[in-house]
Amino acid sequence: MLELSRRRFLIGVGLSGLVMAFPRLLAATPSSSEQDFHVRPIPSTGESVPAIGMGTWITFNVGGDQYLIDERTRVLETFLARNGTVIDCSPMYGSAADVIGAGLEKLGAHDRIFAATKIWTSDGSETREQAATSEQRWGIERFDLLQVHNLLAWQEHLATLKEMKAEGRVRYIGITTSHGRRHRELARIMETEPLDFVQLTYNVLDREAEERLLPLARERGIAVIANRPFQGGSLFRRFQSEPLPSWAREAGVGNWAEFFLKFIISHPAVTCAIPATTRVEHMQENMGAMYGQLPDTSQRRMMAEYVRQL
Amino acid sequence: MNGATWLSYSLQDFVMFGPEVFLRLFARINQDLWPWLLLWPLAGLVLPWFGRQAAELPRRLAMALAGLAWIGCGYLFLVRYYGPVNWPATGFGWAFVFQGLLLLLLKGRALPGPMAWPVVVSWWLAVFLLPWLSVLEMPDLWALALFGLAPGVTVASTVLLFAGQPLPLRWLLLVLPLAWSLFSAAIYWALGTFWLLGFPVATLVLLVVALRVNPSPAQNPGSQSVHPGPGRQSP
Ligand SMILES: NC(=O)c1ccc[n+]([C@@H]2O[C@H](COP(=O)([O-])OP(=O)(O)OC[C@H]3O[C@@H](n4cnc5c(N)ncnc54)[C@H](OP(=O)(O)O)[C@@H]3O)[C@@H](O)[C@H]2O)c1
Repeated sequence: MLELSRRRFLIGVGLSGLVMAFPRLLAATPSSSEQDFHVRPIPSTGESVPAIGMGTWITFNVGGDQYLIDERTRVLETFLARNGTVIDCSPMYGSAADVIGAGLEKLGAHDRIFAATKIWTSDGSETREQAATSEQRWGIERFDLLQVHNLLAWQEHLATLKEMKAEGRVRYIGITTSHGRRHRELARIMETEPLDFVQLTYNVLDREAEERLLPLARERGIAVIANRPFQGGSLFRRFQSEPLPSWAREAGVGNWAEFFLKFIISHPAVTCAIPATTRVEHMQENMGAMYGQLPDTSQRRMMAEYVRQL
Repeated sequence: MNGATWLSYSLQDFVMFGPEVFLRLFARINQDLWPWLLLWPLAGLVLPWFGRQAAELPRRLAMALAGLAWIGCGYLFLVRYYGPVNWPATGFGWAFVFQGLLLLLLKGRALPGPMAWPVVVSWWLAVFLLPWLSVLEMPDLWALALFGLAPGVTVASTVLLFAGQPLPLRWLLLVLPLAWSLFSAAIYWALGTFWLLGFPVATLVLLVVALRVNPSPAQNPGSQSVHPGPGRQSP
């Protein structure tokens, strides 16, 4: 769980302000050091988070397999070493929460993460109980972010989450959807509810959110987590054998993972993308997107056009 | 959720674990139970020998072994190992345990006559060839899908016994194998572990074989008893 120290807050706000104001400033340094990574402010507080987080659906659900628990701990270790903090999970993801908990314990990293999970139960009275169970499984005292999963019983859960936030039991609250589902309903909730975060599917092929939800998030000061940044891996299956465009380097892109992720995090409304992986090498590639230059508006357009015509 | 929302899901969206996690379940359970796991294939080997006897007691034992196999694979493989990564597996696991207990309670009544030779041969083929399907997916001897532990092999072989039961017990015992075959086929398809589709396919093939060897009383005018079965054809 990330404790917001005054120093960290000031550094965060300052750094994110700098990046937002001069996105090419950091990128201008060709060999950007590990310190120069892209962060984004959470609009409701100004606290910064790194622009690449980590998803855990499927990848961290390995049950009691000690070998695979150790492997995922190495993935987590790489994520943290490359300055990642935002970890997203849900009670829906089987044993993933226990595997995160085991990894954090082994790495002694409970205080180095921005812990985000979801409330996923149709019983609207179980919000607190489920949050407490998740805290126990992760081995943390409280979550940074609790999100209502897939709008499930959202009225009841959100009411409780607002209370929990007021009591200091959680720092931020939000709601999630994916695969472009129920966007109209989500927009209504974003218009009327005091959300800190919204999580939705956004990637170079699934761009429906650009029409209404992303502009609305900016207007309402809601942080955006982009899930399924690789469309569940299918973007690699479809495009990895193709060459990168000749202008990729100019857009700060060195491989397909960076292509997909930089497209997402260069959208001004996006706070963070949360790719999931089982492999250390892929984690290295994915975290690479947090460094170096980001594509500008016209390059983003070219990126979308390039994959469309492949 | 409305119909349009349901339609936006694919089979893959319901599978919450990767192929490596699933295939390693076979290796993990075998390694954890070594050397006791050798008892299971041994039981698979001798079961038809008991099942072929004219005396009732050995045939009771055959059914008891089948019951133990269902309990073993239900509790150990499905509830303990598979359940934590795939919740429906826990439900199936307890249903397997229940069916195993049912087989124990039915005792000799559930194996009304000695097993016919085609059934015995099919049984041995199932118990000794099907385990290699998981090794074809994960090249490691530890990954053998053993009778009495791995549901695919256990289900495929024991449908041979269930198909020999009098009606309506036959269909009662076949509900779970068929449901499991459907469920597991969907999972294997979504995971892309296509060799494992051999388990549900073998289950259906063996069921057809067994039904041909043991026609139902309605199809077999010669058998009037409530205990028809292989015994009638191979005294
Ligand atoms: N409703 C919701 O709240 C909701 C819905 C969906 C997702 N989410 C969240 O969003 C996260 C991300 O979505 P996702 O997991 O569905 O899909 P994703 O992150 O778009 O894709 C994951 C897949 O991409 C592959 N991959 C990752 N990095 C790679 C690389 N560098 N090169 C090649 N392949 C790579 C992974 O395989 P390898 O393991 O081989 O790397 C994995 O199969 C989830 O984990 C979850 O936390 C939330």
